[in-house]
Amino acid sequence: MELSGKIKRIYIYYRPIFLVLPAFIIFLIFFVIPVAGLFVLAFDKPVAGVIDIQAQWTFKSFVRIYSRSLYFDAVVTSVSLAAIVSFIALIIGYPLAYLIAKTEHVGRNTFLMILVLSAMQLDMVIRLFGLMVLFGDNGIINGALLYYNIIEKPIGLMYNRLGVVVGLVQFSLPFMILSLVGIIRGIPPAVVEASRSLGATPAKAFWNIILPLSMPGILAGTLLVFALSISSYIVPALMGGWKVMMMPLHIYQQIAEMGKWQFGSALAVVLFCTSLIIVLVYQRVAIRFAGGRA
Amino acid sequence: MSLKKIKKNKKFREVNDVGPLIKFGAVIALCVLLIPVFIVVLTGLNAGDHLTFPPEGLSTRWIIAFFKSEVFLSAFLFSFGLALITMVISTILGTMAAIFITRFDLPGMVFLRALFLSPLILPGIVLGLALYVFYITSGSGLARTFPGMVIGHVLVTLPYVIGTVSAALFNFDVNLEQAARSLGASPLQAFRKVTLPNISNGVMAGSIFAFIVSSGQFDVSLFMATPGNTPLPIALYWSLRYTFEPTAAAAGIFAILLVITSMLIAAKLVNLKKFSGVKFS
Repeated sequence: MELSGKIKRIYIYYRPIFLVLPAFIIFLIFFVIPVAGLFVLAFDKPVAGVIDIQAQWTFKSFVRIYSRSLYFDAVVTSVSLAAIVSFIALIIGYPLAYLIAKTEHVGRNTFLMILVLSAMQLDMVIRLFGLMVLFGDNGIINGALLYYNIIEKPIGLMYNRLGVVVGLVQFSLPFMILSLVGIIRGIPPAVVEASRSLGATPAKAFWNIILPLSMPGILAGTLLVFALSISSYIVPALMGGWKVMMMPLHIYQQIAEMGKWQFGSALAVVLFCTSLIIVLVYQRVAIRFAGGRA
Repeated sequence: MSLKKIKKNKKFREVNDVGPLIKFGAVIALCVLLIPVFIVVLTGLNAGDHLTFPPEGLSTRWIIAFFKSEVFLSAFLFSFGLALITMVISTILGTMAAIFITRFDLPGMVFLRALFLSPLILPGIVLGLALYVFYITSGSGLARTFPGMVIGHVLVTLPYVIGTVSAALFNFDVNLEQAARSLGASPLQAFRKVTLPNISNGVMAGSIFAFIVSSGQFDVSLFMATPGNTPLPIALYWSLRYTFEPTAAAAGIFAILLVITSMLIAAKLVNLKKFSGVKFS
């Protein structure tokens, strides 16, 4: 009697766990175990066409990524392009984020937010279709330039690094804007007013007050854009035409076309860890740079 | 002075006014965001075989071609069904999980929250590959099947539902539910009659996000798609590798309409301001 009452009390106390259990079990089975499995597979002996665990642990795949310039260059290309994209997205995104943050008219504000959110949520392949029609050799830009005799033959705007950067900026810009808007809106107008009344020009007030106070948003935005850009498969595949080899392309190629499961997994692990390490280091440096504000 | 006059006063406006440079920059950003979308719409509605400069005029021939197209129409309908199923599963599981996360303070809750949000951080291609490898090695027979794809989509959409519903729950006064309980309602009754109506906007917005994210999902689908199970983004990708078919653009027009409609509904349901500063991918 005493015992069963206790069990009942424990049951009632812990009953809410059943709310989270289904989602948790799905995550455990289909997220935690597969991702852990990928890490395990990356350290197994690389044999083409074999996917099962052979339990012959080795660093062979990682040594190959480091020593083969094909793969090492892909790491360097991915990191540098993602860094460039983060910077460009910040420059282009900041003004619009500022405008949205300062638009008090509810309807106009919602309208701008819907534009940004729709652009973000729209299937990337569709947006890339538009970019490719615009930037291709027979595309609109080249067509217009040829039509007005500004150029004599099409200039290569796509299937090179330029195309990939343009695609990645288009892809990641909404994320940058959304990261900035909240922070800029949080800057108290009184601070800006004070600096203006003390004689600062609008440009000075922006440079010395608004920009430093936007740092947390700038930090979050650039990190997010970097992480998104480095792991995008579709943009380099279509805008780069498989000529700009970024890491996600290698990963898919190794798995889908060559059946090199262990090596593909190792590339995936390197991609994930590279992105994670750079994000952590950048965060450290940027926090120091921003004087602990971020 | 009336409030209107104060607002018209130059000194008042100065601080919140944005300069011409900011406006110019904002227009550029809007162009970068929207021009590709306009181009898709133009391509789908143009009269020629390709969208060229100058354009050849408007027609509905590609829209008609889309409705007759075996590939794109079936891919569009497949995506729609997949997104609906994903939405239902994610909304139910995500709402339940969000209630638990916001209501109970147990050790390890931080870890649990981080776990549920982590599909946003993990590169999609890594998650897709991990799932694909898992499906094959576990002998579950889920590789390249519809249920396997649904599971992948549920994983990437759950964070959105949990995030949106949690936000709604934070704003909900728990005392209301406790009042219902003290008046004799069962936990389920109290939830259904008091809590759910109060958070329903958040739940609906979360499910809309789940729907849109699922219908635009590419990386995970890439590893799961087969000729019979092809979501629209994958079908478009396969066709884009070789040609720029205006039929694909016509399919794109319907996807664009779907996203804009969903966003308008979401804007009615929740304050979109809340989405700024939140990491969504």
